[in-house]
Amino acid sequence: MNFFRFNRKLYPTAALFAGVFIIIFGLAEAKNLTLCSAFLGFSLIWLMIFGCSAAAMRIFPFYLAVALIFFGIFYAATGSFEAGHAMANRFAAVFLAVVPGMATEPVRMTRALSQMRAPRSATLGILIAMSFMPLLKTEIKRVREAMKTRNAGSVLNPPVFYRAFLVPFAMRLVSVSDTLALSVETRGFTIGKEPYTIYKKENFVFSDFLFLFGLTASAAVTAVL
Amino acid sequence: MVDDETQSLAESLILHTEEIRKAISEKEAAVSMKNETEESRIFPVYRIKDIVFLAVMAACMLVTGAVMPLVGQIPIFGIIQLALALQFSLFPVIGMMKVRKPGALLFTAFCCGALLIFMNTVMFVCMLICAVIAEGAALLIFRSYRKDGACLLAGTVFFPMTLPFLYLYYRFFYSWSGSEGKAVSAFLGSSPSAAIGMSIAVTALCFFGSLIGVLISRELKKSGVIKK
Repeated sequence: MNFFRFNRKLYPTAALFAGVFIIIFGLAEAKNLTLCSAFLGFSLIWLMIFGCSAAAMRIFPFYLAVALIFFGIFYAATGSFEAGHAMANRFAAVFLAVVPGMATEPVRMTRALSQMRAPRSATLGILIAMSFMPLLKTEIKRVREAMKTRNAGSVLNPPVFYRAFLVPFAMRLVSVSDTLALSVETRGFTIGKEPYTIYKKENFVFSDFLFLFGLTASAAVTAVL
Repeated sequence: MVDDETQSLAESLILHTEEIRKAISEKEAAVSMKNETEESRIFPVYRIKDIVFLAVMAACMLVTGAVMPLVGQIPIFGIIQLALALQFSLFPVIGMMKVRKPGALLFTAFCCGALLIFMNTVMFVCMLICAVIAEGAALLIFRSYRKDGACLLAGTVFFPMTLPFLYLYYRFFYSWSGSEGKAVSAFLGSSPSAAIGMSIAVTALCFFGSLIGVLISRELKKSGVIKK
């Protein structure tokens, strides 16, 4: 496998590291207003170059809304622009940290963890937790539709919420997880120490190295200045 | 002559059937013995079914806990716990009530925290430590998760335990002077009485969430969705 190539998708573990690094460094440096903003701006551009542009674009409107609200609250509470700016920096760090995670497909993360010989139960757990979320939305929608069909009442009413929403929802979760477990088992997934093959391997290539180098170098420059 | 042949054929058929039945019953006995020994272990072996269910519970926690990165930046002591107390006690309790094996809470916390790393790294570490402590306390008192009380205790204790760890985090990131320091003190962060009030509120909410989790699991048991 050639190391010197440019992969459009980040290596999953590199993405994980980038997320943790951005959130920790961003929160720690949030008070250095301009420098931190510059670091976060650079991180955004860097992430977009290395294949996270779609995730960044998806999250940007949410960031803008939340940052504006909290900027307003802090500006109103203190009358100081700096306090609001620091808050906006913190939110930028939090939202940016989510971007590499969003851009990484669950199956790629599982492959990378399997290559690292991580415990099978852990990789399976992470894979399901990551990929189950869209399914969960569908299940919630179904239960709510069933409530409407039965004319069960408002979800805001606690007894109705418990009886007509929570219990059927938990029941669906149990049956869905049983089916999922069966499906996993029939695909030959075991949690013992049996040997397994990874057909599509994830490789750490030069672009990943460049990405991490750029990120840490910009953080170092921010810290020194 | 024909009758003798038929009789001998019937006898051999019966004999063969009995042999098969004996073999099956021996096999079943071996399987049930294996299951019994696995269940009687202090740390029973996890099956894929258990892992999948706990991961699903973790996904539920994640979806309902998506507000964490937003509220996490507000310097009010215990605001994260207050916002998430119900979900983070309800779903783990349902998970523990179904799986009933030591480590269930820890695994749920790990699966949830592995994705929370991107949103709130500190919370991931906090959750793992607190899961270990909560499980330890529940197992120390109840010895196993066979009793509903053990699940209730672990679910109630788990999330409020993160409060002291988060307190240290706030002290580290929000202890500065100047205008922002004033903004922080304008909130409840510096008041001990508010911190105590928040802690009580979080614990009460967690107890309530755990109780609902136990009730839901009992209903699922009654309906046969969860095995007794």
